[in-house]
Amino acid sequence: MLRQGITGLTRVSRLLRVGANSRPALSGGIRLYSKAASNAALKFADDAALETHTDTEAAAREQTVTRAAATSSPSEVIGSSTSALQNAYAENTGFGTRPIYLDMQATTPTDPRVLDTMLKFYTGLYGNPHSNTHAYGWETNKEVENARKNVANVINADPKEIIFTSGATESNNMVLKGVPRFYKRSKKHIITTRTEHKCVLEAARAMVNEGFDVTFLNVDNEGLVNLKELEEAIRPDTCLVSVMAVNNEIGVMQPLKEIGSICKKHKVYFHTDAAQAYGKVPIDVNEMNIDLLSVSSHKIYGPKGAGAVFVRRRPRVRLDPIFSGGGQERGLRSGTLPPPLVAGFGEAARLVVQENDADIAHIKRLSEKLTKGLLSIPDTSLNGSAEHRYPGCVNVSFAYVEGESLLMAMRDIALSSGSACTSASLEPSYVLHAIGKDDALAHSSIRFGIGRFTTEEEVEYVVDAISKRVKFLRELSPLWEMVQEGIDLNSIEWSGH
Amino acid sequence: MFKSVFRPCAAVAKNARMTLPVRNSILMPQMMVSPIRFYSATTDRNEITQRVVDVIKAFDRTNASADISSKTLFHKDLGLDSLDTVELLVAIEEDFDIQFPDKVADELKGVEDTVEWIANHPESE
Amino acid sequence: MSSLTRTQVLGLYKQFIKNANNFNDYNFKNYFLRRTRASFRENRDVKDQEKLNLLYTNALKDLGVLKRQSLISQMYTFDKLVVEPLKTEHE
Repeated sequence: MLRQGITGLTRVSRLLRVGANSRPALSGGIRLYSKAASNAALKFADDAALETHTDTEAAAREQTVTRAAATSSPSEVIGSSTSALQNAYAENTGFGTRPIYLDMQATTPTDPRVLDTMLKFYTGLYGNPHSNTHAYGWETNKEVENARKNVANVINADPKEIIFTSGATESNNMVLKGVPRFYKRSKKHIITTRTEHKCVLEAARAMVNEGFDVTFLNVDNEGLVNLKELEEAIRPDTCLVSVMAVNNEIGVMQPLKEIGSICKKHKVYFHTDAAQAYGKVPIDVNEMNIDLLSVSSHKIYGPKGAGAVFVRRRPRVRLDPIFSGGGQERGLRSGTLPPPLVAGFGEAARLVVQENDADIAHIKRLSEKLTKGLLSIPDTSLNGSAEHRYPGCVNVSFAYVEGESLLMAMRDIALSSGSACTSASLEPSYVLHAIGKDDALAHSSIRFGIGRFTTEEEVEYVVDAISKRVKFLRELSPLWEMVQEGIDLNSIEWSGH
Repeated sequence: MFKSVFRPCAAVAKNARMTLPVRNSILMPQMMVSPIRFYSATTDRNEITQRVVDVIKAFDRTNASADISSKTLFHKDLGLDSLDTVELLVAIEEDFDIQFPDKVADELKGVEDTVEWIANHPESE
Repeated sequence: MSSLTRTQVLGLYKQFIKNANNFNDYNFKNYFLRRTRASFRENRDVKDQEKLNLLYTNALKDLGVLKRQSLISQMYTFDKLVVEPLKTEHE
């Protein structure tokens, strides 16, 4: 308690010192204010903390209680994970309590440089970028167009081909629904894969209800589509092929260039959901013959709530807009753009280009370290292709451990067993099923996401913690005990349940 | 238990004796105890040397094996390049709560130079 | 612009390190320290004055961002991470 108080004070005093040393404009402003204020007010201003602290631990505790209460029967598994949890916490005294963030596929932290770009829109640049009668509109519009240029630059597109949206889900819906609807007179067929993100799968299913045929391609046990199968699936009335660039659960990268040339050959539009790939793996829409591409801002350290879709202009790809309105964004996405989000997104895009080499080298290095560390635990395996992958996403199965209980025992590491959208349910991942994993293995899989801000120290901590706790949980598992005794689990006839 | 209470106190004392009282007047009035302040008036070179050596030892990019004394040179003995040296000086600045002017920083080649400058600028900033 | 001196560059480096150190957020602090160290070393052999001046101008802009954002990081704080020791800096 005492210590906490002191740390707080030191921090505040440091803050004030920094403030005084910083740019003359800032300190000048402060001085001006104190001159104007009365003595009492000045005293108040100095006593009031500039610092606002968010207690994340309380929220985490609350969530644990809620989750535990939601599980009706206090089964053995819950008991064991709780003790694993206590076991895990006892050794951490002297350190903080906030978990290490390793769920980069769900979202990434906002880069401070992005926030710096965004702040001016919340403090002064509030004009509507579509107002063309005054300077407030012009200045915001200039920033929006600059962002568009940066977003286009990452994938070698023309800025005019970028349509801003609210995120990849909207972009995917726009494409999956908009393109077939526009060409519905002559084309009735859509091709996609079984491992797509939920929003693509659901949008495709919605099109079935509108009378379209949808082919869901299987993937092999590495998670890759079979190009021959893809080509054979194309029919004369196929209008769209949608294959994701990098899978959000297993990080597998599809052969975009090959798919692009097949689509070009058969004159079918090629869409790729690049939410997990944009800015992380090299993409060139021209070289890869991509006609439509979905992007999300918050996966590249940008703000949440922004995204984009690339729509090729030459040859022109037509699509029915989902929103009717003022005709913004080439009439494809009506509605006022959010300049703070768009500009933040643009800065994030500029940064992924600027930091590309450093980010890739850093993430690759940490990923190798993590993969090596995790796979050195007995009975573990990497899910998805080891070769065709984005290194920042590592999905590992820990046999004979229940993924949920491992996650419960790991409040000090923020991880996920799959996509954020489905992790609320206990249903095993459909992506892992698609690559041929059985229920048990799918249930024991965990996804690790490494990003720009992950440190080596964090990776070391994670490898150590996972190794210890997998061992601990396995010691409690009757299955593991049987395996150690040499019993073949497949030979057992389980009695009813 | 005692240890955990004692440590932060020592930290505060260390912090307070080198900071300008003016800065502390509002934030930490209770820490402006005179016995702590008179220490800085009779700055002891040995004490400063010891602290500088401690900072160097805690600095993670030095040759750990090197025996650090007042004669130690940053580049020659510790293998620090000019950028590392800047970081070491920042660590020393933070520990002593002082500021080396840029021109001075470039001239500080070793422990002795640094201690000398700190001793001559007891309340520098 | 006159030619850039060694003292100026080292002074700039010092400012970057100090401001990066001021981040309260563990990940941001370590990232900016890592990038600062790497980029100054990357460019240490640049001799072309024109290129140096450009680097210097851009670095000044980045430093402004770093100053503002490290201040913000100190204003909006969160619990320390499980890899961060809780002891004070003057240990």
